[in-house]
Amino acid sequence: MTTPFGPCYAAEKVFPSEHIHGFWTLQDTRQVTAETLRRLGQDISSTFDLNNTLFLDTETTGLAGGTGTYAFLVGTGRFSDAHFVVKQFLMRDYNEELALLYLLDQELQDIDTIITFNGKTFDLPLLQTRFTISRLDFNGTKNKEHLDLLHMSRKLWRHKLESCSLNSLEENLLGVTRTGDIPGYEIPQRYFQFLQTGQGLLLQDIVEHNVIDVVSMAALLYRIYITTELKPNECDCPWEAEALAQICIGEENQKQALRYLHTALQLCENTEHQVQLLRTTALLYRRMKDYETACKLWRRLLELSNDDIMAYEELAKHYEHRLNDLKAASHATRRALAIAWQTKSPKVPDLEHRLRRIEDKSRRQIAAQ
Amino acid sequence: MSVNTVMEKIENHPRFMKNITFRHTLPAHPGVYEPIPSFVPHELTELLRKKGIEKLYSHQARSLQEVQRGRDIVVVTPTASGKTLCYNLPVIKTLLENEEARALYLFPTKALAQDQVAELMVWSEELGGHIKTYTYDGDTPGDARKAIRSAGSIVVTNPDMLHSGILPHHTKWMRLFENLRYVVIDELHTYRGVFGSHVANVLRRLHRICQFYGSNPQFICTSATIANPKEHGESLLGRPVTVIDENGAPRGQKEILFYNPPVVNKPLGIRRSSLLEAEAVAHELIAASIPTIVFARSRLDTEVLVTYLRKSFHKLGDTTEKIRAYRGGYLPKQRRQIERDLRDGKVLGVVSTNALELGIDIGTLQAAVLTGYPGTIASTWQQIGRAGRSNEPSIAILVANSSPLNQFMIQNPDYFMDKGAEFARINPNNLYILVSHLKCASFELPFVQGEKFGDVDPEEILEYLAEEMVLRRVDDRWYWMSENYPAVEISLRSASTENFAIIDTTDGQTRVIGEVDRFSAPMLVHEGAIYIHESNQYHIDKLDWERQKAYARQVDVDYYTDANLAVDLKVLDVFEKEDLPHVKRNWGEVMVVAKTHMYKKIKFYTHENIGWGEISLPEQELHTTAYWFSRPTDSGDNLDRDALQSALIGASHLLGNIASLELMCEPSDLGVTAQIRSPFTGEPTVYIYEKYPGGVGFSEKLFEAHNRLLQRALTILTQCPCPSGCPSCVGPVEEVGVKGKENAAWFLRGILDLESNKQAASISTATEKFTRTNRKA
Repeated sequence: MTTPFGPCYAAEKVFPSEHIHGFWTLQDTRQVTAETLRRLGQDISSTFDLNNTLFLDTETTGLAGGTGTYAFLVGTGRFSDAHFVVKQFLMRDYNEELALLYLLDQELQDIDTIITFNGKTFDLPLLQTRFTISRLDFNGTKNKEHLDLLHMSRKLWRHKLESCSLNSLEENLLGVTRTGDIPGYEIPQRYFQFLQTGQGLLLQDIVEHNVIDVVSMAALLYRIYITTELKPNECDCPWEAEALAQICIGEENQKQALRYLHTALQLCENTEHQVQLLRTTALLYRRMKDYETACKLWRRLLELSNDDIMAYEELAKHYEHRLNDLKAASHATRRALAIAWQTKSPKVPDLEHRLRRIEDKSRRQIAAQ
Repeated sequence: MSVNTVMEKIENHPRFMKNITFRHTLPAHPGVYEPIPSFVPHELTELLRKKGIEKLYSHQARSLQEVQRGRDIVVVTPTASGKTLCYNLPVIKTLLENEEARALYLFPTKALAQDQVAELMVWSEELGGHIKTYTYDGDTPGDARKAIRSAGSIVVTNPDMLHSGILPHHTKWMRLFENLRYVVIDELHTYRGVFGSHVANVLRRLHRICQFYGSNPQFICTSATIANPKEHGESLLGRPVTVIDENGAPRGQKEILFYNPPVVNKPLGIRRSSLLEAEAVAHELIAASIPTIVFARSRLDTEVLVTYLRKSFHKLGDTTEKIRAYRGGYLPKQRRQIERDLRDGKVLGVVSTNALELGIDIGTLQAAVLTGYPGTIASTWQQIGRAGRSNEPSIAILVANSSPLNQFMIQNPDYFMDKGAEFARINPNNLYILVSHLKCASFELPFVQGEKFGDVDPEEILEYLAEEMVLRRVDDRWYWMSENYPAVEISLRSASTENFAIIDTTDGQTRVIGEVDRFSAPMLVHEGAIYIHESNQYHIDKLDWERQKAYARQVDVDYYTDANLAVDLKVLDVFEKEDLPHVKRNWGEVMVVAKTHMYKKIKFYTHENIGWGEISLPEQELHTTAYWFSRPTDSGDNLDRDALQSALIGASHLLGNIASLELMCEPSDLGVTAQIRSPFTGEPTVYIYEKYPGGVGFSEKLFEAHNRLLQRALTILTQCPCPSGCPSCVGPVEEVGVKGKENAAWFLRGILDLESNKQAASISTATEKFTRTNRKA
């Protein structure tokens, strides 16, 4: 493709809306709403419209950043009518960079929102640097809203998945498996090899890799949407239910959070996770001043894990301050202290202080009687 | 007690006076003043008045005028002469006139930067807060960085950060570079040798970036006294500079004393330890409540001195707070605290390495004690200048040690007083350094054919880098073609980028207490070493070479450790040579292999050797340049092997020490080693090599100075009163043998051809040169 700044390679691939990528079709993504995205902490205006949204992913000459790292391939994806159109701009050598930037800038003209995966820290600053160095008056990525799917994915699946890389999300959540895909770390060297040999075939893997990245982003956006929209009784994964509860806590909607947490507790089979869920739930009840239920949960927690300092401490507070049962309070504090000593916990001085106070109190009580 | 009373006390102290070899009084000097120029904005003049500044020192006024004229300036005046106003006035003036204008301040250390920001903040506040000053260094928190990039009117940083953090990310600093009006470089004289050569290249990169963003900042530099401020400034900045060197600041009377510790062992020529003597001198001063700074030559000495001083004030109770150490290995937070306590007067005595030599504002110290000659005349004046500000009298005492260099200085005070300061030398075109920075520069912006880098046409090197596939040439440009971020691999301060962390494992915790550079690690933190930190002793239990960690445990022992370095050297190439019947001398490229084999345990106070241990650590290689000379074995009266060995050890000891005097460089920039039968020359040979890869030009200078160097060595040797060798000339008699002095003298005379004087005159003239054309690439 020729531009006022010389030539640059551009490719276009059109996917019909019914195209199936993993579990879903691309048109499913059209259901996504701004409200849902906002619940995941994305700062986005209500005029959000997929038609003016560009999915964007870069392939670069390195991960180090800085002014010597080039984005040699930029892949974009956009919904248009009944299609999803992937456009790729490739510089076949360094002297095509201006043309690439020009075409990308054109592509961004009527775009309001950019969607990336980890673009907040990587792709967008890098492109901004490239636009700046070009010293041309490109508008580039300035003044666009930006959604980072990595951030949203972390909110939902940080605990469920070992890694929130795009590959891991594809395999575990989207039903997408790549075959013969080039690993990301090999890309810069492959590109340099291409520059030295001029063999276009070397780039084929990278170009395909980039297409899948872009299309997967569209699918991932849908997966994020439907997960966020799950009602408490629709959840089938304790980690997701917990993540949704956390979102509700952030929204100060404690009642709904409790519903998600109860679902999570029902679904949960992993003891460690159960303990953690019980703790979160108990603390939430405490915040809502339902101390009785909170205590029930602390006791339930201790049945699963009898060395939990916090649970004993919380029980001790309850016995001392609300039930005025100093014997039980003393007992719970001693248990907490024994564990604290054993584990060299920094809580020791606090607990010792608490125990002294309780003992003093109970001596005074006995004396008074 | 005032300084004058102390001086009287000293004069009436025979034991003390006996050791004073030289005394000089610098008289008080009135100030030379000029009115504040009329072009300075009213609000700034008002502020100066409020601070009690009605008029300026002449050098301050001239700085303002020259900068106003558009000149790049270097201000050369002594410590405490109000240098900061020389740059702050023109900068603030411009910032008041134009809110968009920006200035970049470079300080050699973070501590200095910190100090400046504190001062500038006060100014800014009083001027209504428009001038935003920030430090940008490794300690700057991530969330503050963004604000600094866009809003900082004055960005205060160090060359290292400019090199690795700012220039490679210049797009993020667009606002700064587009509007950059001034670059302030404080302590210009510290940018010499290897460090200076690097910084000159960083500035070449800065010029490129400024040009790219369309700015052309003016440079305002300050420097301690050096012999060649104009030449040095111009080679560092790569442009003409105007030097302002008439000092208009008043100064109080200063007593300078040279103190030579008494000889305690006449036959061996051993003098009492300069550490112990300095401690005694400092004790007197501190006991008289005179705020005193003691300069030590190394980190180890610093810690030993603090320990001694604290113990000597034992009767006064806990003196941990009153007597403090201050040196490079401390973490930034600790250093800031010590600086504050010094200013607030909580600390009465401070023992420092040369970290404090630079102009950190530590308030009113009245006395300076120098433990050993600091290595250069410039440094000596700087350290002397740390005591006494403006009108108060002050005292400075140089306590010599036994090294030839020290003894030369202390016995020839005229040399010190008349010679003036050293030349600062840099070689920005050292191939290693130049290539490194061309990589960084290519990363920052592609080179265009015909573009210059400083005064260098880089095409040849760029082509080489393209062949190495680090760059790629397309049309008339060279682009960066690597995943790496080159600035990370290049350290401005030493050959290696990696520091070793020292981890305290006492009580089962792990806590980083300090760090050492890779080259020093085998000497300081080998297994079994006693590492001293804040006067606490730590035993190094384990050194993890791969992971660069040393695990230490606090101990209380009565000794410290000292490691020996063994050096092997191979000649790779000869750049220039001269063959005469009595000497063959060369300079060229060499490979130095250094290995630490063993260490000694040395008892405190008595300094006796109480044991040793082995060290098994990898060898370290250094590809550098060296100067060497050999005495042909067929030149007549040959000595037997043992005598020759002793002659070489003696000559090396002597030459190693005085070469830095000749070059006016840091003694630590050079290494010396000798081979009794060099594989290269086949003859007894002495090598003096540069400790920086590729060298920075010292070897060539030594080659030129050969005659003067050996003459001076011979003079020191013959002047030394010891009978057969001592640390002040050829080295202790245990090392060179009873005939050490005689042997070394024979060797030197032979090389100087003093037996047959007819040839002596021809040595300096008949030099055969094979100058390699590509050496100055």
